[in-house]
Amino acid sequence: MDKTKDVLLLIGSPKGNCLDSTSYVLGKHVINNLRAENINSEVISIPSHLKSDSQIKKFLNKIERADTLLLSSPLYVDTLPAPVTQALELIKESSKIITNSKNKELMVIVNCGFPESSQNRVAIQICEQFALETGMAWLGGLAVGMGGSLSGKVIPEQGGKAKEVKEALDFLTVKIIQSEKIPEDKLPYEVEPNIPGWLYTFIGNLSWRVQALKNGCYKLLNNKPFV
Amino acid sequence: MKTLLLNGAKNGKSNVNNFAKMIEEELENRNYEVNNISLHKAEINNCTSCFECWVGTPGVCVIDDYAQELARLFINSNLVIFLTPIVFGGYSYQLKKALDRMIPLVSPFFKKFEGEIHHKKRYKESPAILGIGIMNKFNEKKAQIFETLVKRNCINFHSTEQRSRIFMIDQDKNSIRKKIKNI
Repeated sequence: MDKTKDVLLLIGSPKGNCLDSTSYVLGKHVINNLRAENINSEVISIPSHLKSDSQIKKFLNKIERADTLLLSSPLYVDTLPAPVTQALELIKESSKIITNSKNKELMVIVNCGFPESSQNRVAIQICEQFALETGMAWLGGLAVGMGGSLSGKVIPEQGGKAKEVKEALDFLTVKIIQSEKIPEDKLPYEVEPNIPGWLYTFIGNLSWRVQALKNGCYKLLNNKPFV
Repeated sequence: MKTLLLNGAKNGKSNVNNFAKMIEEELENRNYEVNNISLHKAEINNCTSCFECWVGTPGVCVIDDYAQELARLFINSNLVIFLTPIVFGGYSYQLKKALDRMIPLVSPFFKKFEGEIHHKKRYKESPAILGIGIMNKFNEKKAQIFETLVKRNCINFHSTEQRSRIFMIDQDKNSIRKKIKNI
């Protein structure tokens, strides 16, 4: 076990407070596991590090120093959100990082609000391509569906609903510790909480209605302002 | 035919801008009405995932910038062209920041389409989507990721028709024009 390894968790959620995001809950579970094994780690939000040139410089320095990057991101419009796309472009353009990227590893977790974890495949393929083009070692990606049901609480407190998700995140932890790729027989590595798809979408649709009711715009939910 | 050309070039120096010019010329030759938007010049902030455009001010983003006008142009076009350098198989940041802000154009409600859950339509009609990706050197894997992404966007934006084409950045102008004509 490599105890000197520095792992950097990059949260891709564009939410104002990334601690509220599913991306944070998923990534933080792996980080908590790593910390229990005395592995150094740091957690940063990508969008909040791209707001000024000095923050970008700080961000790239952190990337440069890390041995393993763990990106945990939501799926936006079928792929990585804009700030994550920007971050990947900036890393690729940083000759300092590219020169020393041979020993750097990348693993990713992508979650979507749809029930099917398979909807994250394109985003994971893009991350794999990024690793290839920057010379980083690709450790693989985990796709998580029904992301909306996993925010708020740490994974161990989410009970049976998150059993398989927890097992997958624990498996990622082992692979990071061992610096090994997710094995081929697990690919595509995709997991969903133990909730029937119909129930997830039913609760989701109900929740949009409740929020609109609270905001006093229930009757406008199907508004078509641009035609 | 109303066409919105979303030019995802990184900046004014990018060769991708030459493609935007050629596409615009070809479309105008066909008497299309073209809105050619250089996204790197437009004031478009990142989506912050607040969902206000779904459950606060339905159909309209609360960030007051150019993306609001872009959403109006998008849904009122017959054809939207995503022009982008292919970045790791996907779109450029400039194009992606604009597309992330187009979610007010769909409803928050979930519905099954083509065997998967997606968001329901907000508007009766959606434009056709043409993805044009520019590469330095042809790469099969990246081309395949790009084409899949355009197809998936078409499902999520409820477009009835989609196509994607890939060009090489150093392709000679005549062959580019010919290929554009044949789309």
